[in-house]
Amino acid sequence: MPAVISLFSRIADYIDTINRKVGQTVAWLAFSMAIVTFTVATLRYGFSLGWVWLQETFVWMHGSIIMLAMAYTLMAGGHVRVDIFYRTASVKYRALVDLLGTFLLLLPSLYVVAKYTIPYVVLSWSRLEVSQETGGLPGLFLFKSTMLAFFTLLFLQAISIIIRSSTALVTGEYVKESGEDFEGGQGG
Amino acid sequence: MDSGQVLAMVMLVSVCGAMLVGYQVAFTLAGVGVVFALIGQSMGVFDMLFFNALPSRFFGVMTNELLVAVPLFVYMGVMLEKSKIAEELLTTMGQCFGQLRGGLGISVTFVGMLLAATTGIVGATVVTMGLLSLPTMLRANYDPKLACGTICAAGTLGQIIPPSVVLVLLGDVLAGMYSEAQLSIGNFLFEPFSVIDLFAGAVIPGLLLVALYFGWQVIIAFLRPAASPAYYDSSMNRSHLAGQIVKVLIPPLFLILAVLGSILGGLATPTEAASFGAVGAMFLAATRKMLNWKILGEVVRSTTRISCMVFGILIGASLFSLTFRGLGGDEVVEHFLLSLPGGTVTALIFVMILIFLLGFILEFIEIVFIVVPIFAPALLKTDINPIWLGIMIGLNLQTSFMTPPFGWALFYLRGVAPKKIKTGDIYRGVTPFVVLQLIALCILAYFPQLATWLPKQLFG
Repeated sequence: MPAVISLFSRIADYIDTINRKVGQTVAWLAFSMAIVTFTVATLRYGFSLGWVWLQETFVWMHGSIIMLAMAYTLMAGGHVRVDIFYRTASVKYRALVDLLGTFLLLLPSLYVVAKYTIPYVVLSWSRLEVSQETGGLPGLFLFKSTMLAFFTLLFLQAISIIIRSSTALVTGEYVKESGEDFEGGQGG
Repeated sequence: MDSGQVLAMVMLVSVCGAMLVGYQVAFTLAGVGVVFALIGQSMGVFDMLFFNALPSRFFGVMTNELLVAVPLFVYMGVMLEKSKIAEELLTTMGQCFGQLRGGLGISVTFVGMLLAATTGIVGATVVTMGLLSLPTMLRANYDPKLACGTICAAGTLGQIIPPSVVLVLLGDVLAGMYSEAQLSIGNFLFEPFSVIDLFAGAVIPGLLLVALYFGWQVIIAFLRPAASPAYYDSSMNRSHLAGQIVKVLIPPLFLILAVLGSILGGLATPTEAASFGAVGAMFLAATRKMLNWKILGEVVRSTTRISCMVFGILIGASLFSLTFRGLGGDEVVEHFLLSLPGGTVTALIFVMILIFLLGFILEFIEIVFIVVPIFAPALLKTDINPIWLGIMIGLNLQTSFMTPPFGWALFYLRGVAPKKIKTGDIYRGVTPFVVLQLIALCILAYFPQLATWLPKQLFG
């Protein structure tokens, strides 16, 4: 029995590592986004210069952060809960809520998102879609593909949560990530 | 009600229940939306074709330029916090005005106003303020009740003082619904409404609130001098102080006023102004040698998590509302609100009380994405001014967040307050501020001009 648990918890660790790496990398887009937006605004007001592709660059950076770091935020405990009961509840209660919620709420949502976005992205690839704006960025199909990463990464994280919460139901000990990336609901 | 609409009401009850259990709000909303869509489909009252709109809704969120302002404002706030600029601001203000009776309380209110304006997240602000200023106030022999009340009130101020993240989100949601509602009643000549109007509208009510808080601190200082004594710090060097104020207070104050001014002056879009704020905050950090890779890393990660939290709820709520509207739930709500005796006024009061109560379990962002889209469209079809409605909602929620026993701010402060402070102290301390809030809310209810006058002056 413990051997099985340790095998599964290694899988969960592995998934968490993937999402942490992805999230911490994508996070730097926030810095680039600030700089690019600042540049766009300065060029416009200072020099009356403007390019659509530069404008689209920071908007796409923002879109990519949302799509790619959503699972990282879930891993790091960054999504808020209504924790009136959850906060003070026992380990088993919290593990059960996480387990059932993931099965009944998260996984069905991911299924529907996948079902409806895959054809949308495939269509975009089949045309190698570019930005509709004149002077916009090429590779809109790549940007739209972040939707695929969105549900795939969340799906992986759902597996990790299922492993950790069901382990907690057996052992009574809820292993979660700790350190800077796990700061509870409110983040910074 | 047809069976689809009954299902929509069951859905509304279910989502409340599911959220109370404690699963993440974003995924609870999405999950309940999806599950009820499947139930509706099996009952033949919901057409899954509605979900064809899903990818383009995602894409709409990903490419909404206004929403880029949200992570940028968060970035600015987190940068000011992690580079200790906020902390020094509070210390210096305390040393400067702390020598007056009640001065420390006023300083905390003022810093709360500046700080919270950037992050707009109740939890983050109250925790920061609690950690920074509660020990100082207690050391200065402030009445713990007054200290706690001041911090809770100051921490929630940022909800309504622009530039705040929640006002960006509320403005975006209201703007979309307002034009839809006006077109649906055949009014094609309505005045367009945007986030900038909401920012401008929030200025006077926000200052009114700050004035009420200041006034209360002064009254306490005179009536009960022992509750808010003057504070002498022996380590303080008075000749040094003036220079310190210039160095610590002026730059962040200038930054926030510049950001706000460029938006209200029509010089920059909220997104552009937010980027000035973000880059400006990095510049301020650099001038005090606090800009390094470690801090930058913490800032980008924190910004990423907070933004994903916000947009997770937005995406989840849009899945929820897709099903809710597909089932005809919006018509039930509209019919109910408009059939209340007393017309628009009763409907408005009903929605306000509902939002106040929901403020106990939901954060502002959740209210904006869940509750407002359900109830506001019906109100926006009447002659209610959307700016006024937005500010009323903001002020109302802010009150809710500090009302005992369930207000969010109280929980967060409890989390960081020393054990010797009793929960009852926090409750009693915040009560006068709740009364001040209600006074402000009543004033605004009777004088909508307080919210609508400035936007009219600025933008015609």
